[in-house]
Amino acid sequence: MRWSRKLENTTVRKLEGSLFIAPWVFGFLVFVAFPLGYSLYMSFHQVKITVSSVNYTFIGLSHYREILIANGSLLYEELFPFLRESAMMIPIILVFSLFVAILLNLRFPGRTLFRVIFFLPVIFSSGQIVQEFIAQGEGSLSIMETLRIDYYLREYVPGSWAAPIQKVMSSFVLVLWYSGVQILIFLAGRQTLPASVYEASRIDGSGPWNTFWKITLPGLVPYIFLNLMYTVVDLFTFPSNPIVSRVNTSNYGSSSALAWIYFLIILTFVLLTLLLYSRVDKSLSGKR
Amino acid sequence: MKIVKKGNEIAANLYSDEKLRRSLIGLRYRLLGAEIDKGILFKLFVYIILINVAFIYMKPILYMVTTMVKDARNILDPTVIWVPRSIFLGHLQQASEMLNYTKSFLISVSLASSVAVLQVFSCAIAGYAFARLEFPFKKVWGALLLFTFIMPPQITILPSIMLFKEFGWLNTFLPMVVPALFGHGLKGAMFVIIYRSFYSTLPKELDEAARMDGAGPFRLFFRVMFPLSRSATVVVVLFSFVWNWNDFYFPSLFMFTAENVPLSITLARMAGEMKLAEGAGEITVYAEAIKMAASFLIIMPLLVVYLFAQRWFIEGVERTGLVE
Repeated sequence: MRWSRKLENTTVRKLEGSLFIAPWVFGFLVFVAFPLGYSLYMSFHQVKITVSSVNYTFIGLSHYREILIANGSLLYEELFPFLRESAMMIPIILVFSLFVAILLNLRFPGRTLFRVIFFLPVIFSSGQIVQEFIAQGEGSLSIMETLRIDYYLREYVPGSWAAPIQKVMSSFVLVLWYSGVQILIFLAGRQTLPASVYEASRIDGSGPWNTFWKITLPGLVPYIFLNLMYTVVDLFTFPSNPIVSRVNTSNYGSSSALAWIYFLIILTFVLLTLLLYSRVDKSLSGKR
Repeated sequence: MKIVKKGNEIAANLYSDEKLRRSLIGLRYRLLGAEIDKGILFKLFVYIILINVAFIYMKPILYMVTTMVKDARNILDPTVIWVPRSIFLGHLQQASEMLNYTKSFLISVSLASSVAVLQVFSCAIAGYAFARLEFPFKKVWGALLLFTFIMPPQITILPSIMLFKEFGWLNTFLPMVVPALFGHGLKGAMFVIIYRSFYSTLPKELDEAARMDGAGPFRLFFRVMFPLSRSATVVVVLFSFVWNWNDFYFPSLFMFTAENVPLSITLARMAGEMKLAEGAGEITVYAEAIKMAASFLIIMPLLVVYLFAQRWFIEGVERTGLVE
């Protein structure tokens, strides 16, 4: 009697839950799963669009072969410089936003004003306006030119890296502009660290330097990984990103294949991040 | 005797050493601070860094504002870099004409705000379900939520266009609005995740107490849970509004031949027109100023919204556990 009532109770709970999640699941199936499956289907086909209908001819993996092996220019010419660029941009964004978030968390007169200014990138960086600013040359730091960084780069850095470094340098301000959300995440994360721990460490006589390395940084590890993921996803899906802009409507089949290859690359990155995170998290919790 | 005297001397030396050490420590404390935010040197350092970075963030905006009010004389005058000698509003007027401002502004407002409102509700419901309710295959759906978050929208864009074409929704707002109704749309997955992390921080006793009082699930959500999540809602509303306002990608693909388009598209069309004019040899000294005026017209509403919302926004960010 009691058992069946309990069973009934959990069924009711599950029904309620299903009712709440149903719209999202429906939306997922229609607007995500279906287009996703369809694009996978198209990537194995030659797609021809006629006035009245769309014709599909199965060609197997040849789009993939074309992109990955036969005609590398479509992917590799854009991909490798972009990966090198991201390899530099991501650490810069992370370190910078962590630094700014910690500074903004301090108590000092004028903090609110600075916060208002530092959240401006959240508003601008997603729009066309930023592109406009870059076109105006607002993205570069004039100090780079006065120090003749370009010259030294060409002299001492191997060619395949010099160009991406140069590009990151010249759009250094842009890198700072892309840190808006990351600053927010770090700031929110920093708020979750309890003040009592800091008090205890102060009473034990550890200085600000030690406190940062022993308390703040380990406490922020989950947020560092969250930001890493967010930055990877953001950089890789930005519409003006060179590979994404190659995904166009002129050749459906090949574009779909390119999008899938690209997605698998992103997925690999994110999974690597997650793997790294679980490792770090384990070793940290082992220490605690 | 001698030994005692020597002992005294040593003691005196030790004492003065101690004194020196203490005063040095005192000095160090005053300069570096017992805590990271108390020392003078450190404070100076913090201010220098913050002011510099703030300048980097402000500079394009300052440049935009000062450039757009320059008339021909000020533009050609090389001594005028930042502060124009006179203020000229003609560029603003011309830009607003080229952007078809009133109409596009209303379109942008209605599009961004309707998506934002829908996303707040639908993502809150989904996030609540993910955080606190039971349903079949919850783990699978949770994984798919993360999947949606990291999936580039470009991968589904072609089939989506075909799908919306099938529905007859192209060149309308429906491709942006309807997915939002179901908790998707622009960065919808991220908003669901924000709500999920917020609702999972609330104590379990809360729903139990409400259930004891006889509240059904819908009442519980709309009367207790949703009002509680005000801080998360502020964050999601602002993000959603701003990102939808700025978004160029989706409208450009779903409404490419539409007549009534949001500001982001009219800006791109205007830039295209101006490039064409430039290519035809009609280079004017005003091009820059007009572009800046147009940019200003597009950003200004966001700035106004942000100025009003920033206090709640910052509080919300701190309280949401935006992440977790």
